[in-house]
Amino acid sequence: MAAAISIDGLTKKYIDVWQKMEVTAVNNLHLQVEEGEIFGFLGRNGAGKTTTIKMLLGLIFPTAGDATLLGKPMGDNNVKQDLAYLPEETYFYDSMTGWDLMDYYGRLFRIPEPERSRRVKICLEKVQLQPEAWKRNIRGYSKGMRQRIGIAQALINDPKLLFLDEPTSGLDPIAHSELRDIVASLKDEGKTVFLSSHQLADVELICSRVAIIHRGKLLTTGTIRDLISGERKEVTVTSQALQNGLYEKIHSIVPGAQRQGNELVRFLSDDDDTISAVIDIVRGAKGKVLSIVPQKRTLEDVFVETVRKEEGEL
Amino acid sequence: MIPFAIAQQTVREALRRRVMWIFLVSGVFLIAMGPVFGFLSPKDSQTVLRSLGLAAILLAGLFITIVTCIYLLPVEIERRTIYTVLSKPVQRYQFILGKFMGGFAVVFINIVAMGIVFLAMLWLQEKRLPPEMFIGVVMTFFQMLLLAALTIFFSTFATPVVNFFLSFGIFLVGNMSSVTDSLTSNNNPLVSNAGKVIHYLLPNFGNFNIQNSIIHPTIEIKNPNVFLFQNMIYAIVYSLVLLTLAVLIFDRREV
Repeated sequence: MAAAISIDGLTKKYIDVWQKMEVTAVNNLHLQVEEGEIFGFLGRNGAGKTTTIKMLLGLIFPTAGDATLLGKPMGDNNVKQDLAYLPEETYFYDSMTGWDLMDYYGRLFRIPEPERSRRVKICLEKVQLQPEAWKRNIRGYSKGMRQRIGIAQALINDPKLLFLDEPTSGLDPIAHSELRDIVASLKDEGKTVFLSSHQLADVELICSRVAIIHRGKLLTTGTIRDLISGERKEVTVTSQALQNGLYEKIHSIVPGAQRQGNELVRFLSDDDDTISAVIDIVRGAKGKVLSIVPQKRTLEDVFVETVRKEEGEL
Repeated sequence: MIPFAIAQQTVREALRRRVMWIFLVSGVFLIAMGPVFGFLSPKDSQTVLRSLGLAAILLAGLFITIVTCIYLLPVEIERRTIYTVLSKPVQRYQFILGKFMGGFAVVFINIVAMGIVFLAMLWLQEKRLPPEMFIGVVMTFFQMLLLAALTIFFSTFATPVVNFFLSFGIFLVGNMSSVTDSLTSNNNPLVSNAGKVIHYLLPNFGNFNIQNSIIHPTIEIKNPNVFLFQNMIYAIVYSLVLLTLAVLIFDRREV
């Protein structure tokens, strides 16, 4: 399968003139997104996700590196005919009605009438925006309605590749679920979706692969199945010797171990040798292993572990 | 088609700005007050109406042009609406052109509205429409074309506040072309060279001020058609240069 997005060493540095310092927003990013997949692009706030998307769309310019979208250089005006972008927290033209906004964006794609009106109607129906809202000013739209019109405008050109930046954030549970399903349905239509989101449960549900970026650096990438594979165990031990240095010994083996009260320590690990080592220490101190419970890893666990590890907290 | 779509949307947004309506109503009010002021000075009532009318169109047009055009780009960037436009197959020059066309269409509508009121007042008072008055309105129109291009040019790199002072300041200096012209022949080479730079580089808004010859008929325009044509060409060419520079800057600007 061909690559819908191919990023080769993309770098973006900003120079703070006043503080005479250089800030690296994206650092030598290499990434491939295959055609027809929903790709999750994850990272904390300020990790470089939006900067990457903006570079790919030609809104800002890279300091170094290159990328192709659908086989054409990023920023190429012709490739934009097949692209769509839903920015995070977009403000649309409030004085326009939903229909007029869609018509405006349709005109930017040079879609002639009556095809334009037909597409506007299809897109508004697809995002389940109530027909009575079509002719109302966007000023009066709720957050959910704005997100729906945002996704609708991204579909007006029947794109092959969509960049969606937090399409489901801040929505009520019903709207959240409906919009997530709409995004998931795009894959069935053969579209490629580059999804930047903090809703990790959604990403786990609808994405085939993800990348985790932190401080502009790619930490990991892979299929969700591979990333969440490996069973972890939650181990709970008790000993009266915790106050006499035992906790510190456990903590030196498992930095994430958490003390609960004077006699309980709980930690998570997927490494049997580590678990055995801790059990040996606890038993040596005449303590007890209260429970060892297998746990399924979630994408959120993987994300937190990966980022904390990078930050040196694990 | 794309610049027209952007222009249409720009007009829609710009017409929502209350401040523009305040300037328009003020301009129309001043023009309508012409006969009242003329009544206070019966000897020069014709001159008062003509002078006040053209001055009102110029002043209202000046503020409408500046307040309309300084926000056209910054608002799109601040509200991030520009992301959804430039991520579509829209070239940056098309965006600038559309914004300029839309902004200037708003100015055009306003000048036409004030011009109609002004000519109507003249008709009521003089029972005729003096062609030089029509030329006066047309000259203001081209002056505003040039000012709109200048404001759009500054908006590609300056904040609205800086843009306001830059555009307004250059408009004032550009209107004093007789002063800057006299500087070019100053004995001090420093003053003379500075005068040349200001006189020849900055847009010469003073060229469009034909009120003097209209109000004072002793100053005669030898060939009104050539005068009109030259000024129109000057405004169009200078505006094209400014818009080209605006596109070159905006092409490299990150949004």
